Amino acid sequence: MHKLLLKHKLLRWESGLIAILLSEIVIFGILNPKFLQTRVLMGSINDFISICIISLFVTFVLITGGMDIQAGSIVGLTSISLGVLWQDAGLNIWTAVVVAILIGALCGAISGFFVAFTGVQAMVVTLGGQFLYSGLALAVVNLSSSTAFEGISGYPKSFIMIGSGTFLGIPNQVVIFGVLIILGYVLLHKTNYGRYVFLCGINKKAAEYSGIRTKWIIMSTYMLSGMSASVAGIILTSYLGSARADLGKELTLPIITAVVLGGTSNLGGKGGVIGTALAAIVIGIMRFGLVMAGLSTQYLDIPIGVLLVVAVATRTVGSNTKLMKAISKRFKFKNA
Amino acid sequence: MQVVEAPPIMDTMISVRGICKCFASNLVLKGIDLDVRSGEVVALIGGNGAGKSTLMKIIMGIYQQDKGDIFLSGEKVNLTKPALALAHGIYLVPQEPMLFPNMSVEENITLGFKDKKNELHTKILSIMEQLGWKLKLDRKADTLSIAEQQLVEILRGLLRNAKILILDEPTSSLTFNEVESLFTLIEDLKNKGISIFYITHRLTEVFEIATHVAIMRDGVITLKGPVGEFTKDDLIKGLLPPNTNLKTTQKSEVLDYTKLKPILELKNFTGYGFKDINLEVCSGEVLGVAGVVGAGRTEFATTIFGMDEFISGQVILDGEEITGLSTRTVLDKGLNYLPEDRHLNGIFKIGDAASNISSAHLRNLSKFFLNKKAEVALGEKYIKDFRIKVTGQNQIMGSLSGGNQQKIAIARVLSTSPKVVILDEPTRGVDAGARGDVYAIISQLKKQGVAVLLISSDFEEIVELSDRVVTMYQGRINHRFSKNQIDLDNLTAASFGVYEEENVQ
Amino acid sequence: MKTLKNALKAREISSLIFLITIFLLVGAINPNFLQIKNLFLIFNGSIVYVLLAVGIAFVIISGEIDVSIGATLGLSAAVSATLLRDGNSWIVAVIAALIVGATVGLINGIGVTILKVPSIIMTLGINGVVRGLSYVYTNGKWVENVPYAFKSISQATMLNSLTYFFSGALVVVFIVHMLLNKTGRGRYFAAVGDNQCGAQLIGIPVDSTKIKAFIICGIFAAIAGVIYVSRVGFVTPMAGNGYEMKAIAACVLGGISLTGGLGTVVGAAIGAVIMSSISRVLVFLQFSSDYDNTITGILLIIIVVADALIQRRVTENARRERLSARTLSDKGGYNNA
Repeated sequence: MHKLLLKHKLLRWESGLIAILLSEIVIFGILNPKFLQTRVLMGSINDFISICIISLFVTFVLITGGMDIQAGSIVGLTSISLGVLWQDAGLNIWTAVVVAILIGALCGAISGFFVAFTGVQAMVVTLGGQFLYSGLALAVVNLSSSTAFEGISGYPKSFIMIGSGTFLGIPNQVVIFGVLIILGYVLLHKTNYGRYVFLCGINKKAAEYSGIRTKWIIMSTYMLSGMSASVAGIILTSYLGSARADLGKELTLPIITAVVLGGTSNLGGKGGVIGTALAAIVIGIMRFGLVMAGLSTQYLDIPIGVLLVVAVATRTVGSNTKLMKAISKRFKFKNA
Repeated sequence: MQVVEAPPIMDTMISVRGICKCFASNLVLKGIDLDVRSGEVVALIGGNGAGKSTLMKIIMGIYQQDKGDIFLSGEKVNLTKPALALAHGIYLVPQEPMLFPNMSVEENITLGFKDKKNELHTKILSIMEQLGWKLKLDRKADTLSIAEQQLVEILRGLLRNAKILILDEPTSSLTFNEVESLFTLIEDLKNKGISIFYITHRLTEVFEIATHVAIMRDGVITLKGPVGEFTKDDLIKGLLPPNTNLKTTQKSEVLDYTKLKPILELKNFTGYGFKDINLEVCSGEVLGVAGVVGAGRTEFATTIFGMDEFISGQVILDGEEITGLSTRTVLDKGLNYLPEDRHLNGIFKIGDAASNISSAHLRNLSKFFLNKKAEVALGEKYIKDFRIKVTGQNQIMGSLSGGNQQKIAIARVLSTSPKVVILDEPTRGVDAGARGDVYAIISQLKKQGVAVLLISSDFEEIVELSDRVVTMYQGRINHRFSKNQIDLDNLTAASFGVYEEENVQ
Repeated sequence: MKTLKNALKAREISSLIFLITIFLLVGAINPNFLQIKNLFLIFNGSIVYVLLAVGIAFVIISGEIDVSIGATLGLSAAVSATLLRDGNSWIVAVIAALIVGATVGLINGIGVTILKVPSIIMTLGINGVVRGLSYVYTNGKWVENVPYAFKSISQATMLNSLTYFFSGALVVVFIVHMLLNKTGRGRYFAAVGDNQCGAQLIGIPVDSTKIKAFIICGIFAAIAGVIYVSRVGFVTPMAGNGYEMKAIAACVLGGISLTGGLGTVVGAAIGAVIMSSISRVLVFLQFSSDYDNTITGILLIIIVVADALIQRRVTENARRERLSARTLSDKGGYNNA
């Protein structure tokens, strides 16, 4: 009901993503029939679960008009903290998990505080955060008896099951992703809080005049993205069976790509969780499919980069009437 | 008013002929003819949306006209971009000076020139000496006052040997002394043979500074000629739609104050931009707050609303002190404020109508999950009551007309059922039809027993709607008028600080 | 207040003072740090970052951002290294690298100005494309066996142990600084970043200025790539990965505002030296150089937050002063009555 016009556009956007997704599955299925097995397809998520989970909540940050390039570094910090808390501090693994999530929230809160309350550009603060948290991760390694290279391993089976077990035949990671999509969707589109996130992004001043506590709303979105980064860190640790400080280092660009490709405007005020989730899967499947088709993952940055630029360019060019006019004029001219 | 195709005259500095401009399907300029000769100051007046700024932007090459021609000294020119207009000696001083805040004054003036630095420097100094100005050239632009920024803008124009200066509401953010020095400057420029377009809202200025006047309304020039040929009343008539009669503004009845109790009281309320404000507003009363732009009206309203720090004094709402509380708390206590600048503070442009209306009231509709039903009901109610023209509640705010946007902004303010409403320029940039609707809304509020504080620079509006009026002048309330004292002359005189008590009878 | 304002005026000076203070402090604790040899080691080690930071400074001062320079460095390094390995003259290699850099910059510039894609998104996408292209170009393999003669250039020193590269970079920074600050056209970059509408109004070509900034940025990244080849001697497909963030951080440390319009290339160069000296400073203080990033992050946040708070205070005070000036004083009558 809300923002139907906008939603209409988004819907079109999202169906475009679904079309890309389906064609990916068909093409990769032809290239390598093994690809179409449900087990393989579902298992592929292990390779890009972090992007999926984190981008869901970085969406919130971008909708407020902010930017978050630190989430990737929080993954590594969470992972290594979890390991140290469990192995060296002797905490129960589940207590350690809770503490790890709190650490993520705290990291987000620190950056979010500076963004919301001092008015420094989000990009700069989270750039600082990226250095700070990845640096802290290394510092935490030094607290441990293990070295950075080997990581911390030897977790109880129950913990390992988070990342590698199944629930009703569906991999746990898929289940967790599903749950988080629903959580994110409800929070963003069905609650007052979510509405405030949008309003802050559309016009922060007007939101303040409406009695909305914009600073706290903005800060909280960074906490959400920090927490989602911790969840990703925990899942990765469980899946790999080892806590490492350098996890998530390369995630920044794919996360932002997923969010923006999902239809969220980096200028704020527009976007949605479903689009992000679809875009993250599109990127992930493309990555996985090309590997199955025998290509190196590294080449993938080309189509994804092109996709990102083309997607945003069509959006901005489409809304730029002057340019459209010029293009159509030239077109007519050629035809004549 | 009849547009006769006059041939361009050779001795004019600039002539425009038959300028038309369309935005989307909205005809903004409908055939404008205007001539300015050397040394003339043409005051261009007209309400918001009359097309003044569009015309000036066309002359400056920022927009291109759909039809019509521009002649400079009798020669037809094609101004397709600002650089061309600049090369032809046209310079626009925008309402908000467009300086480079991080650069020095000198850089701000000389940027874009290809000449040698030293030459430019001596040139600037000689211009300043001629005009008798003192301005340190190495100051950073963001340390300048608005008046000084305007000086820099004008210097920029002069250094370019501008022959035609466009001043867009130059006095709107100036203090009184700054206005005076600006006028001296314009007098100088006039004597040097520079032509000036002077856009303003203030009729008094027209007689003080202009040689000619042109009034625009709805994209046409309704009246033009030398200033001496007109009286103030002529100008006001030119501004009003054809069939309005100034005298027929009907007043509501005088209120019986013995039956009313004050609901909002300000005691020596002092903050940044206003001082020692004392006033009371009663339920069911409209208190007009008149004054010129910059008199401190908006500042004192936003400070009550918790948007800025106060210095001293008290604000009492319904017996409870609300001084210095946060916006959210003030809102919850029952006071709401309609911001002066709609686009900046009043609306969510890419949001839909429903979320605009509900934004302030949302948290009272439900605790955590969105209450869509209640939200829709709220939207329906206001769309019906206020006659808001939308295709549906999901229509995007940016696609609505100014009047409908404003009604939605008012709906948002009223959605919290406040006991006191402060309406800051409620009809700015609103068409005549919507203006009537807004007036009806205000009367309705009065009937419902809401206290209304009406801040407006449109004194006719204040005369028509207010039960009592206070005027603000340079940050203080300088006069109070009861119902039978309220008229345009009194308010204007008081707002400009020239009202004398003896005039009352 | 006055000194504060002056300090703000010359932001690169405060960065320089900061750099000297660190060096003196560390030198006080461990005098070996201040040995010429060590200092030169720091300077020589910072050259790649210096060049990247100077290049990106153009883009940032123009009010945009470029996160593709790490990949651009990687690709131009791979291209030039391959050409050198295959026996081409260094001139060919350098020219090829410059073409790569300029092309990437041109594409970024066109995307940002004509297609109106926000620069962070545009350069993010191009970053991916360029990085992918260096995999395609190198087939995912390392480029090794760069001729010794070319590698040795990076070792050639003058004045005791300052490399020619670093002295060259100093000269370049100086020349670029003069061009940027002392010529009318050079100031266009800052003008566009400071107030885009205002720049348009006085006839500054905004779009072409921005495109130029991106091209210059790409070219500097390419030069950094060539020097990288000479210093490191081999190129992996991941060469330069993450350098863009370090270059941006260097600019911020050097007093360049990411909102545009404020800062100098000298500041960017000083910032880059600060950045790359941190790990050495830590070693001399007998900390693990693992804390490098932590310190960088903390510094970055403290500097920008303090800067923002000071700026905000200044503007807020100015606003209030101005508002108060409008109000009549108690004694003052109506001065125009």
